[in-house]
Amino acid sequence: MDILKREVAKRVFAYELSKSNYETSEGGERAPKYILTPTGEKCNRIFMVGVLLEKEEVSPDSNFWRIRISDPTGVVSGFVGRYQPEALESLLEIEPPEIVSIVAKLNLFQGETRSFLSIRPEAINISDRKNRDSWVIETAKRTLERIKNLKDGGKNAEGDLREDVKLALDVYSTDPAEYLEVVKKAVEAVREEAEAFRKSRADVKPTEIAESEVEGEAVEAVEDQTDVDRETEDVTLDTFEVDELEFEFEEEEWDLTDILDEE
Amino acid sequence: MREDEKISTLTERVLSRFKGREIDPKEVSRRLKLLIYEFKVPEEEAVRTVTNYLRKEFDVTEVAESPIKTISELTKAGEWVSVKAKVMQLWDAESPNLSQVGLAGDSTGIIKFVIWAKSMKPEVREGRSYLFKNVVTDSFRGRMQINVNRNSDIIELDEDVNLPPREIELIGALVAIQQNSGFIQRCSLCNRVLKKGVCAVHGKVEGYDDLRIKGVVDDGANCYEVILNQENIKTLTGIGIEEARRIASEKLDREFVLAELKKRLLGYYFKIYGSKGSRYFLVKDIEFLSADIVGEAERILSEIDELRAKEEI
Repeated sequence: MDILKREVAKRVFAYELSKSNYETSEGGERAPKYILTPTGEKCNRIFMVGVLLEKEEVSPDSNFWRIRISDPTGVVSGFVGRYQPEALESLLEIEPPEIVSIVAKLNLFQGETRSFLSIRPEAINISDRKNRDSWVIETAKRTLERIKNLKDGGKNAEGDLREDVKLALDVYSTDPAEYLEVVKKAVEAVREEAEAFRKSRADVKPTEIAESEVEGEAVEAVEDQTDVDRETEDVTLDTFEVDELEFEFEEEEWDLTDILDEE
Repeated sequence: MREDEKISTLTERVLSRFKGREIDPKEVSRRLKLLIYEFKVPEEEAVRTVTNYLRKEFDVTEVAESPIKTISELTKAGEWVSVKAKVMQLWDAESPNLSQVGLAGDSTGIIKFVIWAKSMKPEVREGRSYLFKNVVTDSFRGRMQINVNRNSDIIELDEDVNLPPREIELIGALVAIQQNSGFIQRCSLCNRVLKKGVCAVHGKVEGYDDLRIKGVVDDGANCYEVILNQENIKTLTGIGIEEARRIASEKLDREFVLAELKKRLLGYYFKIYGSKGSRYFLVKDIEFLSADIVGEAERILSEIDELRAKEEI
């Protein structure tokens, strides 16, 4: 009876998503499919706030776009086409790099030697740093909970999580320490940035604060200053470039026509 | 076997309304079977027909009252019950067959109610408490609801039914905004949302402007349907009715208001106060989430350190 209930949008870092290659389903052909991640989250839909690094039309005038989204831990690729009209419309108005929020379904393309997870956005919207930080913190908390379950070998009190956790351990032989490090990296990245903001705020001359306070809270006003925003974004982007190297999938090997057919 | 089970359940349902009278269950079952399996009459109609027959036969004017139950006790579909509840929110009755649809609550929970147009009941109002007498429970898309039909009564109560004990706080992201949101027009007669200037019941009518958002808030573990009213929207975006009118006339398109609201709200985190149902969250207050990032980050980092320390022991 619950089939028509909306799927919850899970919070998973890009690093973990890019390692996910196991698809599972609960029952018949028409039952929803889930991607099992290494820490045992079952996702049909995800929500993330990250940086839209690139958008590229797969072939001229195809209106089928390939995008790359990054968070402090890694990168995921996605495709937006005419079957996602809402996302497509928004995407056309956004120029990367830009902080965006994304609600997406997941697609797992299984090749002969490797599989490739991509996201299929339902909604994309320009977002801001504050919202991105909230997402990183929330995703860190959720991931940490899952790591704790891993450490207990799936023997936690909430019975319903056990099977997924056990399956994830079997499928991926997940090393909890690896994901603990991913969470740490993500959280440190936003903490440093938030601290940098505090500092940059302290550097602003008192008169400027007084002026900006006319508009509202001083903190918010400083955050809204786009040039400050840009600077911090650049710092983040450097980190992202390093991260891209960690993304193991080599796109050249992938024949895009296959993807188009499977759509 | 399954047929027999169904008939015996339906028989019980019929008999439950004639408590204290000696009625042969076999006779009731026989009539139900005849109607349902021989004559292929829909179940509900068969039950109604047999009930009416018995009512005439025994000259019963007032059928036995259904037991008063709390909302949390309503777990089975097809039961006749009475519920004391407060109308918390009225939705748009999208079909002309519906008089009113909305959410009602008591101290144990929140439930959707449906008042059929055919039931000919006076309209209920938000914030008032009522006794929904002789209503039928139903399960729609896996969720319980109560249906008000011709045999039901809605009696306004003087007492104020208490809602779920306390308001809770929900932190989550607005992950979807439905199409029928934004700068809408409502029928001035029944408040239904007009589609292209046409009301489902009253046809082409003069409408009045309103702003609302129907959306989904998701916290990563659950998702809830929410409705933001004009006031909520104004607080969050600064766009009120006047601003909406200005945008619509400038762009010559009312849809631009929705596009603008989406840009400002979709994909953002919110802190919402209100009451929680199984599927719905009734918004009382809503604000953009303003988290203490450094504090939260430090808490998480120290938890990671603790976990690592434990592993080494």
